Order: sequence, then structure tokens, then C-alpha cells
Amino acid sequence: MTELAYDASEGTAPLHRRLAANAARPLQWLLKLLPGIALLLFWQWASGRLIKEIYVSKPTAVAQRLYELFMSGEIYPHLWTTGQELVLGYVIGVAGGVIGGYTLGRSPRLARIFEPYVMAFYGVPKIALAPLFIIWFGIGMGSKIALASIMVFFLVFYNVFAGVRSVDRELVNLTLVMGANQRQLTYHVFLPAAAPFVMLGMRLAIPYSVIGVIVGEFTSSAQGLGLFIHEASSTYDPAGVFAGIVILLAFVTVANFLAGRLERRLLRWRALSGAGPIDV
Amino acid sequence: MSDRVLAFDGIGQDFPAPGQRTKVRVLDGISFEVDRGKFVAVIGPSGCGKSTLLQMAAGLLAPTRGAVHHRGRKVTEINTEVGFVPQQAQLFPWKTLAENVELPLLLRGIAASERRERVANALASVGLTGFEQHFPNQLSGGMQKRGSIARTLVYRPDIILMDEPFGALDAQTRMVMQSDLQALSMDAGASVVFVTHDITEAVLLADHVVVLSQRPSRLLANIPIDLPRPRNMFEPFRNPGFEAAYDAVWIEFRSQIETGRVH
Repeated sequence: MTELAYDASEGTAPLHRRLAANAARPLQWLLKLLPGIALLLFWQWASGRLIKEIYVSKPTAVAQRLYELFMSGEIYPHLWTTGQELVLGYVIGVAGGVIGGYTLGRSPRLARIFEPYVMAFYGVPKIALAPLFIIWFGIGMGSKIALASIMVFFLVFYNVFAGVRSVDRELVNLTLVMGANQRQLTYHVFLPAAAPFVMLGMRLAIPYSVIGVIVGEFTSSAQGLGLFIHEASSTYDPAGVFAGIVILLAFVTVANFLAGRLERRLLRWRALSGAGPIDV
Repeated sequence: MSDRVLAFDGIGQDFPAPGQRTKVRVLDGISFEVDRGKFVAVIGPSGCGKSTLLQMAAGLLAPTRGAVHHRGRKVTEINTEVGFVPQQAQLFPWKTLAENVELPLLLRGIAASERRERVANALASVGLTGFEQHFPNQLSGGMQKRGSIARTLVYRPDIILMDEPFGALDAQTRMVMQSDLQALSMDAGASVVFVTHDITEAVLLADHVVVLSQRPSRLLANIPIDLPRPRNMFEPFRNPGFEAAYDAVWIEFRSQIETGRVH
């Protein structure tokens, strides 16, 4: 919202205001980064002084470990495996959630039959399924993809289900009177109306896909970041653990950024509120 | 060919009452006709089932008893030959104004070039030229209402059903909209069924005012209003004959307010 407001003002605002806006942006970034930098500095200072380094490592050691991992190429197979698991698990979970949520949202009859079951399975702690999934799908990527996608599925499912059900009945009737058939109704009313809910589910699901994959790899695996972190912690290598966590952080950040871009594109109509004329 | 566009024949409607075994009778034997190009206002106390009549004409609800006939054909399914203007503007928030107005044409498979032209004309007729690319939440309430009307006019239905369309607008906007609606409906040559609970609005806009009673509602009167057009919407009392017409409606309506139980 605020960024859009900036864009709008940059073209027309007088010069001094434009300069002010240009100076304000780096300042904001600085303010955003400040707490992070402070935390890192405190960590660096406290390590070895307040807490033993063997417990918490320190930022410079983590940075060095990251550098080594990428230079030696040791990390790439892990990255590749975990990356594939994350993307596949996420995509399968989102697709299943959207299709399932949409179908049940549109059909009250199906919803009456299946909602109690979905609700019951929703309550099952999916993490507890990890060992079972290993038995079913093996210690390869299959079990991790399954675990990630089932966690993502429920989040997306419930959001889409709620979104489709919340569509105004009057709007639907109006569209029917305008001459819409069921396919047109889906395309022009239900999908756009559900889009904010789909986006919300997709954003919420990102960290859950990471949890699913990492827990799966912790439980049993031959390759992957989860395994790498697990091994680092069992060999008293805190720098290695944090290096793994930093990589996961980067994954989530990039995914969030992409989801944010997609959201701004799909939901342009929401962001633009109140930016227009307000007279009769 | 008869001039009768829409006919309500002995309409009765029961709704299930929450927590009760017996049903509530809402409408009881309502019959009236709407002729080509005529403006019919339906007034009645709140909860008397005025809006239900419109839903029946649009085929969104089947009456318990009786039938609605549109151009002599019984309405049994969604009636895409009518236009419907709801109480709230109900523009699609994810479509721009132009896309909103274009939708009925798109749904009806009309060619792109003709769509563009008709959308431009419809927007011009409600005074919204220049706002094509605005999203509904960037428009004021009155502008959204105009958009909603343009979206109905654009596919040229021969009857337009309006459900208290100006109820949520402020007093000034409302007068302007009433005045514009008079001009638009005269131009379009469409019949209008206009549900309202405002006697002044009904008398000013309509050729016939249909007065309904409290629930279970019956038709109390169907009063012709012969005021000359165009009528002055801003100063109702300046229309010659307005007082007499208002009184004729008020006499019928008054009894319903005095016996009012639930509001």
C-alpha cells in the first residue's frame, strides 16, 4: 500500500517532495535492518562471554562455515534434495488444497458429508505421521514430499473452503440473471472471490512446508538440509547447525517474497482502495 | 401482441419459520401487471415480501402458489431476460468499472467491438465516462450505484427490477439519482418494477403504485399516478397534482402503519 502511494506521488510531486521520498526509502530500510544488526552484534559479543561458544557458536563462525560449505560444494547435494522436496511438497499441497477446498466450498452436499472427516484429520498432529510416511514412501524424497504436502494441504484447504463459502449469495444470483453458466460463474465470481483466501493459505503454508520437509529428514533420510543439521548437532558443530538454519531462512524469505509479488499482482483491486475520487 | 410485459398472478409464498412447525405465510394472492415502458413502484411495510416478488420475477425463487409470467411465458428458471438492480450496488470488486459493465455482454457472447461501444454508451448515459479503469472501491456510493444501473442497462432488458436501490444513499445523492433514473427509464423504454418503502419516491417515479399490506401481505391498491413528466424530483410539492396523488397512496398506506406490530 505505502509503496504504491510512493509510486503514485513520484511522478507528480514537486521536486523537493520527491527528494524527500527518495531519501525516506533507504532510511526505512535502515530502520528495518537495525534490530537484526543489533541482534547479530549482541550474539557476537555474548558468545564466549555470557554463554559458551560450543552452545551458541557466533555469527562470524557461522559465516565462515557457510563459506566453506559452498566453496567445498559439500552443501549442494543437500540443497538440491531439500529444494526439490520443498517445491514439490508445496505445489502438491497447494493444488490439492485449492481443488478440495473449492469443490467442497461449492457443493454444500459434499461439504456436509466430508467436512467432519477433514476436520478430524486436521486435528491429527501431522508430525506424528513422519515415521509412518517413512515406512510407506521410503527414506527417499517421497516421504518428505508427502509430509510437507499434507501440512500445506490442510491450511490451504480450509482457507479456500472458507473463501468460497463466504461469496455473497446475492452476487452469485445477480451473475446468474446476467446470463452466466456454471463455468462462467466459477471464472468470473468464485475464483476471484476466493483469490485472497488462496493467497492467505499459500503464505501461511510456506513455513509449514519447511517444517514438514525438515521433520521428515530429521526422522530418517539419506540426504538433505534436515539431515545436515541433525548431523551437525550430533557432532557438536553449532556453527553447522546455524549455517543450515540460515539457508532455510533464505528459502523462506525468497518464497515469501515471491508470494508477496504474486499477491500484489492478483489482488491489485484490493490495494487500490481509497486512492480515487470521492464525489457523486 | 399485448402490451403486457410482466404479470404476477395470484402469488402466494410461505417461508419456514425458525423453530416452528407451521410455515409463515408472507405473500397471499398478489396479482398485478406491468405494461410495456411503464414504471411500477411497489410499496409496503418492511418484511411484507416486496423483495420476494422481484426474486420471483428473476426466477431466483419459485412461488408457493400462483405464477409470474414474463411476456406471456411462465417464469420457471433463472430469467436472464430481466435486469436486476439490488439494494447494494454489488459491483464485482475485482473488476474495473468498465469490466463490470461489460460482463453481461461477455456472458452473452457479444463480439468485442460491439461490447466496447455499448459499455461506453452505458457509462456515458449514467455520467461515468472517464472512470472506466477505476475499481469499485475507488468510487463513491452514488457512483457505484450508477455503475450498477449501467451494468443492467447495457444488455437492454425489457424489464428492470429494482430493490430499494437508493435506500442506502444520502438525501442529495438520492434526489439526483431519482431524477436521472426518470430520464434513463424514459430513454430506455424499459419497464421498471421498483420496490421501496418511501411514498414520496414511489409517487414521483411511478406510473402505478402498488400498495401491499402487513404480513401476510395482500394487495391493498394499485393506484395510477397521472402526474405529467418529466417530474421535478428535487421539489416534489411543486409538481401539479402531487398532493392529491400522495394522499391517494397515503390513505391506503396509513392503515398499515397504524396497525404496525413489528418494525
